[in-house]
This record gives sequence, C-alpha cells and structure tokens, in this order.
Amino acid sequence: MDIVIRNGSIVDGSGRPAYIGDIGISAGRIHQVGHVSAQGATEIDATGKTVSPGFIDPHTHFDAQLLWDGAAKPAIEHGVTTIVPGNCSLSLAPLKAADRMKLVGMFNQIEEMPLVAFEQGVTWNWETFDEFVSRIQQDLTINVAPLVGHSVLRLWVMGQAATERTATATETAEMQSLLRQCLDAGAIGLSTSFVDMDEKLQPVPSRYADHAELDALCAVLAEYNRILQVVHEFYDIDLTIGRIDQLAELSLTHKITTTLSPLFINRGDFEGVDRVIARIVEQNAAGARVWPQVQTRPIDISFSFAVPSLLFIRLRGWYRVMRFGTPATIMAAFQDEAQRQQLVQEATSMMPLWSTLILRQVQTEANQQYVGKTLAEIAELRGTDALNAMIDLSLEESLDAHFISADMGHNDDDKVGSMLRHPHVMIGASDGGAHILSFSTYGDTGYLLGHFVRDKQLLSMEEAIKKITSDTADIWAIPDRGLLKSGYIADITIFDANTIDRGPEYYVQDVPGDGHRYVRDAIGVETVIIGGAVAYDHLLGYSDEHRGQVIGAPQR
Amino acid sequence: MIKVRKSIHPSATDTWESIAARALAATPLDEGVASLQSWNLHVFSRAPAVPGSPRAGNPILPSDLIFVEPPLLAQ
Ligand SMILES: [Zn+2]
Repeated sequence: MDIVIRNGSIVDGSGRPAYIGDIGISAGRIHQVGHVSAQGATEIDATGKTVSPGFIDPHTHFDAQLLWDGAAKPAIEHGVTTIVPGNCSLSLAPLKAADRMKLVGMFNQIEEMPLVAFEQGVTWNWETFDEFVSRIQQDLTINVAPLVGHSVLRLWVMGQAATERTATATETAEMQSLLRQCLDAGAIGLSTSFVDMDEKLQPVPSRYADHAELDALCAVLAEYNRILQVVHEFYDIDLTIGRIDQLAELSLTHKITTTLSPLFINRGDFEGVDRVIARIVEQNAAGARVWPQVQTRPIDISFSFAVPSLLFIRLRGWYRVMRFGTPATIMAAFQDEAQRQQLVQEATSMMPLWSTLILRQVQTEANQQYVGKTLAEIAELRGTDALNAMIDLSLEESLDAHFISADMGHNDDDKVGSMLRHPHVMIGASDGGAHILSFSTYGDTGYLLGHFVRDKQLLSMEEAIKKITSDTADIWAIPDRGLLKSGYIADITIFDANTIDRGPEYYVQDVPGDGHRYVRDAIGVETVIIGGAVAYDHLLGYSDEHRGQVIGAPQR
Repeated sequence: MIKVRKSIHPSATDTWESIAARALAATPLDEGVASLQSWNLHVFSRAPAVPGSPRAGNPILPSDLIFVEPPLLAQ
C-alpha cells in the first residue's frame, strides 16, 4: 500500500454518517476503506481528524494562473483537489495568435488579471484546445475539468464579427465542429455569458449569439453528455427566472445538464430568491436539469485607487478615471481642485457607503493609527467627511491605501444556510482565481465547514461534504471522484473539524510582473492527497508530486 | 406554478419598433416602444455601441431577454 490513513473520522461524500476507519491507497486509487491491515509506505495518523474526498470547485477562473502555477495556489491548501476553469464564456483556448491580446483584454476587464501577468507569466505556445491541455498538463498538481468559452469559439470562427452580429449557418456549423474538437480534447462543457463586458466596456462575443446558436451548440454538448454553464443577469429576479426557463428548455430539448451562477441571497429580496428556487423546483419536476450555484462567503469588496474597482462601476466619472488612468493621472485627478470637486459631487449621494468603509492597509507610519477604523471615524478625527478622507488618505499613500467594504450582501446566515442545504442548489460560484484585486476568492469551503457547519450548525458535516464532493462530481459528470470508495481515484482532504476555517484576507505580491492579489490562508486543513500522492501538508508545504489530471482529456 | 413574467428572445434584426409591432400589436407604435423601453431598463439604459459598430443605434443584443409585459407587481 502506498499510503494508509489511520483512524480518521471518515465522511465519505455520500451523505451517510461519519465513522472511524482507515483508508488504503495504492496506484493512485483508493484500495480499501474501513479496516486496513497492510502497512503503508507512508502512514498518516488521522486520529481526531476528518477524512473526506477532495473538494471540487465548479466555478473558477484559474485559466491564466495554471500557466505559471500548476497547483492553482492557494486552492489545494484549502482542501480543493479539482477545479473547473473556463467559466463565464472565457477560456484561453481555442485561441488564434491574432486574437491573444483581445482575450487578454477581456480577462483583464472581467477577472482583473493584470496585463503584465500575461506578458511576463505566459509563453504563448498553443492555439487549439488540445494544445492548451497539453500545455497545462506539464507540472499539473491540481485536477482540472476545463470548460470551453462560447466567446472564444466565436472569436476563432468569426474574428472581429464575433462582437458585431449573429452567426451565419456556416459559422454556426464551424463553431459546432470546433466545440466537438474541444470536447474530444477534454473540455467538460461549454460556458456562456449574458452579462459580461470586454475591455472597451462593450458586450463580450457570446452576447451577440441568438438563442438558435446556443441551441446548436447544446446539440453538440448532448452528443457528449456535457454541461452548459451560464452567467446570467443575477441582479434581477425576473431576468433570472427567464434564464432558468431558457436553460430548462435547452436541458429538455437536448437532455443536458445546465447551471447558472451566481445566485445571491440579499436581505430585502428573500421573496425573489424563493420565487427563483420555486421555478427551479417546477422545472426540475418537469424533467429539466438547471442548477443554480450559491456561494458560501458574504460579499465584500476591497480596493485601492491604484487599480479599477468593481465598487465604482456605477460611478461613471470615477470608473473612467480608474479604468483608463495610470497612478499618476489618478493622483492628478484627485489633486486637481475642479476635477476633485466633480468626483466628490458624483459620489456624495453614496455617503452612507463611504462612511462604513474600513481602512485596512497603508504604507506610511503616520497613517497606521487609522488602520481598522471606518472612514466615518477617521473623518471625525480629521475634521472632514468620509469621502474626502478616502481621497486624502489615497493621496498621502500614493494610492497604496486599501479599503474594504464589508457586508455588501449575501450575509444572512439562516437564509444563505437554508439555500446551501437546498437539494436543488449547487454550492459553487467561488470565482476562484478571478477578481484578484477586489476580494479573495479562496477559502469558501473552509467558510462553509467552519461557519455554517460548526459554528452555526445550519448543515451537518456529512451534508456539506456531499455538496462539495460527490454532488458536484455527479452534476458535472466527473467520473471516479467525489467519494471515498474502493476503486475511486485517491483525492482526499484531511482536516480538523474543530478548527477548519478561512484565514483573514491580505494583499500579497505573487502574481507575475510584480502583480498583487488578495488571498486568504487556510486554517485546519492538514493533508491533501491528489491522485494517490500527498500534494500538500500543512507542516511540510507542497510536495514535488504532480499527479493532477485534465479530467476528460485522453491520457498521454 | 409561480407566475413568470412574459419575455421573448429577439431575432438578429429586432428593434424596439419591430418587437412592439409584433408583441404589442394592439398598442399604438410609439406607446408600445415606450412601454418596452420602460420594462427593459437592462437593455434601454445600456451604454451605446462603439461608433462604427453595425449595432450602433440599437441597444438590443441577440442574446437578450426582452420583457413584453410590465413587472408582475405593477400588474
Ligand atoms: Zn465567473
């Protein structure tokens, strides 16, 4: 036996009650569960610890990061062993050389992946999906079940016209055969978007497709029994219900699984959320498969003025300054009396928001005294208002002042908890690897198991683990993973149920080209096994094992 | 069954006028257009297409859902 895990509390992913037992692993697979008498080359004592299948994160944007980091750090540290990149109509393949900069612009706009990271972290040596799969398979530590993006299929087939019009019958047929090639090469499904914007703040290519085009692509998904993921108009209940009906129709016509994300649960609109779920249940009763994804973490947004922030997307004057400016021009805008006045005027109506922002990180010694205080408190101390305090601090810190807007919604524990438990809800939508300059997308599973399971007791451990392992594997048609069962691939997470959690968010410089991102460390995750080898240990760090697979790709 | 607000998928060449003529045939055209616009702020309030785009002047995208009745609360 290569590895034997002893005396753990086994939560096997099926939802059945935990029990004490051993797990024997050989040749990458689970060989025995229960009592294991054979010795392991490696013995892991899991006494007092929980042993579960590795977590599956179905909504990520680790596409770019996988090119320089085959472990998708810090996903594995949090217990995640399989990720689905390529969501929301965007994947890095298939991609013609001529379209690279266009796609980089979209990734930059939508996922906040800095341009310089692509310049310095990426050698562009692929065009087809198959070439991309071979590329990331080198040194892969985490398992990857990649979606192919609808916007990218359009770009390949239609070029510039992808952002101008619907496809002709010939172009639709070409997209169909391109999609077949991607599915043959290992794509787990197709993603599309009804809401995203490109780098010029214009709709992404998938939004120029009519329903007939999407229908034609779903016919190809049906040939392969693969899934359709969409990002819908999540800010509006009626539009969300309209999209559920559209997905239900596609699901019934083609007998495919569909999923939409994100579904946020905001105070003041529980009734709307209940209508959405009621519609899902009705459509499911009619035979359709439509899975809404609900994230575990509450919404918060961190920002500095050095980079454009989602928080300002509705303030056109501010967003323009941040989106199209450089640090020097942004500083100049704040220093110019007339321009500053204009910006202040535009944002004054949102004073209640500015007042609640918390200063979380600064560079100068002089301003350390304000860290942790709200802008209202700081304004009071400085004899100004919150908005002007935010601008002044940003100027004093050469824009390196970081603020957080906490409590922006999706934070009613009872209601979110009841949704996370709901049999028609998929836990997902972490957006791992995206929005790296607005918030940390890592640690949602720790938050689920620490906050909702242990502290609030809104789900049992068995229910929660099932939701993020075997349920996800079933819905996404990922074979041989998600259960601790003889014959299954040995993707296993060992953690301390008494301490598991997500750590505090912090700003770190670890993106190629001296780029930054917000991350969170894991708490309580001890050992993570991928493909039958220890990939991460909380004391030893990452191992040299690279057993990650592109799920669905032909074995090379 | 829950009540679902009626919507359509536009065709590639649809405009406010063509949808109003079809979906609100009994209503005078400008009134129909004005109603559609007020029921579909997600489309009507959209930033205009870049100059030179074939879609300039028409904010409706082929992937949009267009409501052809007011919000249910208003009914
Ligand atoms: Zn996404």
